[in-house]
Amino acid sequence: MGGDKPAEKALILHRTRLSSPNFIFTHFSNSPDTNYSKLKFIISSSITEACNNSILLLGPRGCGKAAVLELVLDDLLKEYPDMITAIKLNGLLHSDDKCALKEIARQLCAEHQLSFSKVASFDDNNQFMIDILRECGLAHKTVIFVLDEFDLFAQGKQRLLYSLLDAMQSVSSQAVVVGISCRLDADQLLEKRVRSRFSHRKLLFLPPSKEDLPGLIKHMLLLPTDSSIPDDYTTEFNARLLKLLEDGRCKGIIDTLSTSDSTFNHLIRFLFIAVCHMDLKSGFLTLENFKAALTGVQRQPKLECLKDCSVLELYILVCMMRLELREQESYNFNTIMKEYSSIRDSFQTCDYYARNVCLRAFEHLLQRELISLVDSRGHTQSLEFHPVKLLISAHELHLGLKSNRCCPAILQKIIDRG
Amino acid sequence: MSKDKTPQTTRRTTRLSASSPNLSNAATGLAKCSSTTHSLSLRDLVFGGEIFNAEDLFSSLPGRRGVILELIRLLGPIDSQMIPLFLYGGVSTGKTTTVLQIFRHLKRPFVYVSCRTCYSPRILFESIINQLLLHSKNEGNGYSSAKRCEKPSDFVNYLQDALVNVINGFKEKTEKSSSKKSLKWVKGSMVYLIIDNLELVRDWDKSLSILPFLFKLYDLLKMPELGLIFISSASPDTYYSDTGYSEPVPLYFPDYSEEDLRQIFLRNQSNPKLYTSFLDVVLKPFSRVTRRLDEISTAFSHLFKIYCEPLQDQTIVPNEETKRRLFSHLQPHIAPSLNEIFRVPSACSGNGANKDMVKRKVSGNKLGVSDITDEMDFHMSVCAKYLLISAFLASRNPATLDASLFDSTGGAATRKRKRKASEKSMEQKDIAQQELLMKGPGTFPLERLLAIFQCITSVAEYSAEEEELGHGGLGGGAGDGGLMSDVLLQLSSLCSANFISKGSSCPLEGSTRYRCTVDENMVLKVARSMKFPLSKYLYRN
Repeated sequence: MGGDKPAEKALILHRTRLSSPNFIFTHFSNSPDTNYSKLKFIISSSITEACNNSILLLGPRGCGKAAVLELVLDDLLKEYPDMITAIKLNGLLHSDDKCALKEIARQLCAEHQLSFSKVASFDDNNQFMIDILRECGLAHKTVIFVLDEFDLFAQGKQRLLYSLLDAMQSVSSQAVVVGISCRLDADQLLEKRVRSRFSHRKLLFLPPSKEDLPGLIKHMLLLPTDSSIPDDYTTEFNARLLKLLEDGRCKGIIDTLSTSDSTFNHLIRFLFIAVCHMDLKSGFLTLENFKAALTGVQRQPKLECLKDCSVLELYILVCMMRLELREQESYNFNTIMKEYSSIRDSFQTCDYYARNVCLRAFEHLLQRELISLVDSRGHTQSLEFHPVKLLISAHELHLGLKSNRCCPAILQKIIDRG
Repeated sequence: MSKDKTPQTTRRTTRLSASSPNLSNAATGLAKCSSTTHSLSLRDLVFGGEIFNAEDLFSSLPGRRGVILELIRLLGPIDSQMIPLFLYGGVSTGKTTTVLQIFRHLKRPFVYVSCRTCYSPRILFESIINQLLLHSKNEGNGYSSAKRCEKPSDFVNYLQDALVNVINGFKEKTEKSSSKKSLKWVKGSMVYLIIDNLELVRDWDKSLSILPFLFKLYDLLKMPELGLIFISSASPDTYYSDTGYSEPVPLYFPDYSEEDLRQIFLRNQSNPKLYTSFLDVVLKPFSRVTRRLDEISTAFSHLFKIYCEPLQDQTIVPNEETKRRLFSHLQPHIAPSLNEIFRVPSACSGNGANKDMVKRKVSGNKLGVSDITDEMDFHMSVCAKYLLISAFLASRNPATLDASLFDSTGGAATRKRKRKASEKSMEQKDIAQQELLMKGPGTFPLERLLAIFQCITSVAEYSAEEEELGHGGLGGGAGDGGLMSDVLLQLSSLCSANFISKGSSCPLEGSTRYRCTVDENMVLKVARSMKFPLSKYLYRN
């Protein structure tokens, strides 16, 4: 494992930190009044007081709902060993009620060294779960159900949610249900019978503020002094990094990063690319690494596509833009060809190709997803007659024409004129 | 792998050898694989063969240096964890080849699946599990998979178990080999999962749940020893989902520039000087239309043959004078081939290899080259031709005019009345024309088609030969019944040739409606070959 050079070791360390989902949130674990401490308080109090509870963790994607919960559970497992059983479900995998109960039974069996039967029915598994919950309650053990992608569990008849929350109504059981969802209205999706059994505790997770960002970056990138990496390299690396982060240009880069998307995941991706660009010979992060990472993370796929278009494809796009500017409500390939020949007639351009060649270029544009069919349901008509629409704005097309190296001057003139 | 082949074939061979690891070894000749008894080992998850160093890598993929460097950087040193990658770029920009060649260079274990061959979630899951469990489908196990898994939840459980096994296997191997310092055929114990053609998943039935699942697979597995790489021809912003998904790190493969294309075509040429002079002539005009390698290379292989025709000795280095001579020989062929969209080598001719029959759909008015051939490139029976014409007429003419057009007395009179064009009717004409452009050919029921067919066949003079054709083997006395059954047969063959499309049944009438999809030029050709006066019957507004 690992290279001999300190720079390579540092790189591997950074990559390990960045790709593990939890590390970045350990930054918050020491300060009070964070979601971490709130969540920990709620769960630990229901463990110590032996009561049932239910919480929803809400917030946009990439803000560390699941990761913070994971950290909390790890801590609690250390604090109260043998008192917690965590059952983890994910809406993407177990949104089907049957499948979900089966998975619960499987994890419960694995936890308590019981043999799991694959053929057990929904009712069997349900009964098994209730029994186990009672047994655990009598033994003062808390079962924590984690339902990731909670909104997906609320899609069908919500039998799973009902039986879970209903089992928690009895005094003997001792369980916590934690739902995680990026839909802020997740609790509104619940049926009445489920909602009335739910405690309506909610924790909101937000992206980090601008003030937090430098602290987070330092937390992620500063090398620890107690690792196998040589000390002199570590101090040098850290000193250079701190100096770099004070630089105004670097601050500018971080500002632009957070204005477009300030979630934790976005930051992690940015730092990952920056670390990957680190020159292993010198072994220190530079401003260029951050610049490269910014362009790597903030992609503009449509403009990249436009930059790669051939001249004929650009002609078709310009024709479509002209039709759109004329507010023609719907148009198809035939109308575009009419426009194309009128451009050719009025501007005397030399790029004139046969209809079939244009049709192929048109298909390329469809593949590039710069244009799309208006209604792709009815495939009875051939492509030429299918109404189409542009997926780029006039401004994007303008920028694209400018950036395209082989774009003829006449096209720019046409689009400038409107 | 074969360096002496064109980019296309290398691509295919790499793809093949990657998806069935058996072949990669067979190709490189490392393992003696006696096809039936060969059992897979961990070695089959790595590219075998001789050392493939960085220089080979760069020279085998011209124009991709920047992307390769970037990708190697993102993959990082041996056994370093990574965030899922998302590689995207246009069609035939070498995404798959680049990734696979990099893995050949790095000698790291990987599993490759393409969503094109694995066309449903179940096949995708089982194929990944099969490769990881070193399971090959053969006669002995009835071509069944190692595990049956349909649901994502089963897949995650199986995948976790399989990965742990494989990774432990590799760890043991690397420990052993590092002590012995023997030939290292694998570097690192991290396994990479490459999922190709991800854009196709969007069209699957369950795409709404499968796509977020695949993007979240890394978080779900919680296995740091797994690297995930997605390859897609569609950009990341085209993957919609209502609650979003965890985004991977994007990496863009730009299209080849003209200079890159030149380098790619110059690879493996026996006479690079000659080919350079050829490229000087053709590359520029072609790259204005498209820069897609797959399309250009088919066109070029044909053109180069024409270019070389005047030369006796193909190994000479051309001087200015020969260049000029060759250019003037080639020039008349460039423009038409720009307008070609596909070519079909004729199957019937024995020497088909050098006499490609070119199926051209040329609408001749381009660049002053009028190149319409009156002949059709394929054979059609007389009955089918008439049927095609009548279908075309039924699609283009309004149904209300049928009586006047095909009734020999009334037709002329109505058309004369139409000729009086006022301002208002001109305007209407414009609107109608616009509508025709938008709506395309109309639909018609079978009865109308048959009625028109009977009208035009009765007008046309029947020769004895045609009579025989039309009536089939039933002989002259069979009458209309025979003709009709034959017509229906012809109609279905026209439908399957996609000249006529069969639509859904009309909710009011209940009968199936047809539509003629052939364009006017084609029908004109057919009519000319029959000497049928098409324009007389075609209603033009």
